[in-house]
This record gives sequence, structure tokens and C-alpha cells, in this order.
Amino acid sequence: MRREIAVVAGIGREELMVEAKRLQVPYEDLLRVHEEKTLPVPIFSAGGVATPADAALMMQLGAEAVFVGSGIFRSEDPEARAKAVVQAVTHFEDREVLLRVSTGLRKPMPSLDVRKLEKEDCFALRGN
Amino acid sequence: MPVGILAVQGGFAAHVKCLQALGQETVLVKTPWDLARCKSLILPGGESTAIYHLMQTSGLTQRVRDFKGPILATCAGTILLSCHVEGTQPFTPLGRIDISVRRNAYGRQLQSFVGDVELAGDKCKGVFIRAPKIIRLGFGVEVLGRFGVDPVFVRQKNISVATFHPELVDGHSFYSGVIETQTAT
Repeated sequence: MRREIAVVAGIGREELMVEAKRLQVPYEDLLRVHEEKTLPVPIFSAGGVATPADAALMMQLGAEAVFVGSGIFRSEDPEARAKAVVQAVTHFEDREVLLRVSTGLRKPMPSLDVRKLEKEDCFALRGN
Repeated sequence: MPVGILAVQGGFAAHVKCLQALGQETVLVKTPWDLARCKSLILPGGESTAIYHLMQTSGLTQRVRDFKGPILATCAGTILLSCHVEGTQPFTPLGRIDISVRRNAYGRQLQSFVGDVELAGDKCKGVFIRAPKIIRLGFGVEVLGRFGVDPVFVRQKNISVATFHPELVDGHSFYSGVIETQTAT
């Protein structure tokens, strides 16, 4: 996503109309992204964040917000883990904080290997 | 010395952008050590209860209470610095400026708006997002800007607070209080 934003920011202004048609977005919105070099909304990351370290990694990769759902509620210690994730996102570049909040947590949510999922279990294919 | 911007939650990035456009060095303040590097401080908009909670867990609440340098606050930051928040208080505000505030005073997110703010002999565009209202002004609090009859930009000593977001409309002039100190020292 950040690379796509960088492309829009980097191409010539005269190419934006064609790009807007290709992306099927309003020209004014694309122009704004081109000028401000960012989206007019926060870049959220969501899905599969199971540990405070995962959440911090999302922030380090350029997310502006992290959504954690199953990662908290399907873990063994939702309350403690939620607090840890909040601290990890706030202090995402502070290794000592990350280490401290990652210590003493119980089991995270069980992981799924995407390659082994049955088609029916793939949420992304629903509705197509 | 850089300007500190409280960065535990909220719209701190917009302030960073404005200050960098002014050629001013900034520090994202998430810990007392970050704050110690700064002679002035900005409290951004965001979610005041979340900011307060994260200030507590980061050991910043008392430091901001004791901070001697100039402070500029916008929206949620204004709520945090006030003396009293109307209604059930999810936290005790820091009491750095003698005002009382009412949260979400103009309505919910959908009621956010852009309005004309009257400053001393000037006007500017005010972006009001779930903005609070200043419902009581203590003795010694000057009104620097109004939206209609509402005081929306006020100052007491070296604490300046706005209920709108000058950082969202290139409000460079609003930073003079927190930048001036740098050139004076």
C-alpha cells in the first residue's frame, strides 16, 4: 500500500487522470494523495496480529493504526494481552518496552497455515 | 532545543508536519526522557481519555503537570489541560489552565465542521472535530479567538489552548508561543 502511494506521489501530475481512471478513483482524491503523499485516512493494519511484537511490526512497517480482534479474544489472557498490545503500538520503536510487555503472557491465539485452509474456510472468497 | 509533541495517541502527525514546514526540530514525546529534551510542548487532538491513560502508563502525567515551558494544546489537548470537565469525568484533568470544558459540545463526529474563527483583527478557518466548548473562563485567562460568541482559543500565562485544529489548515501563526522560546534562549 505504501509503495502504491509512493507511485502516485511520484508520477507526473499529467499522468494522474489516466491513473485515476485505471484505479477507478475520483481524480480529486488521487490528486490529494499525490500532493500530500499520504492517504486522507489512517492506514490501518488488521488481520492475524497475535502478539505485541506483531502489532509493533505493523507500526514499524508504516501502519498508522492496528486493529486486533481474534488475536486478543482467542488468546489465553485477553486482558493482559490487550494491555500489552496497546503499549507495543504506543511504544513501537522502544525495544525495552516491547520486551517487557511481551514477557509473562500466556498462549496467543492458535495460528492457521493459510496453505492448509479449506476453500470454505477462506473468508476472503466469500461473496465472490 | 526541539519542540516536543505528545505522541502517545492522536493527531500528533499533523503538528509535526506544520512544525517541520516551519523548519523547527521536533521530538515525539512518549516518555519522560523525550520530554526532558524539550523546552516547549504541544498536546495534540485525539481521544482525551486514551491520551490520559497512555500518559499515565508512560509516566508522563506528573511531568506535564510540572512542565515549566510554554504549552500549546488543541482539542483533546485542551480537555487534558483544563481544570474541570463537565459530566462524568473519566480522568482528572491536569489543571494547567483555569477553564472548564464540555466535551463533544457541538455534536458527534458527523457534526464536525469548518467555521470562521475571529482572532485579534484577523480571521482564520477553524476545523472543529467533535470539538469541546470552553464553558468557564477563570480569572486571568485571555480570549485570543472566538467562534461566534464561544471562546475557542484562550491563553493563561504560557499555556495556550484551542478547541479547533489550526494544525489541519497550515496554522503556522499558532505556534509562535512554543517556538519563540527557542530563539530567546
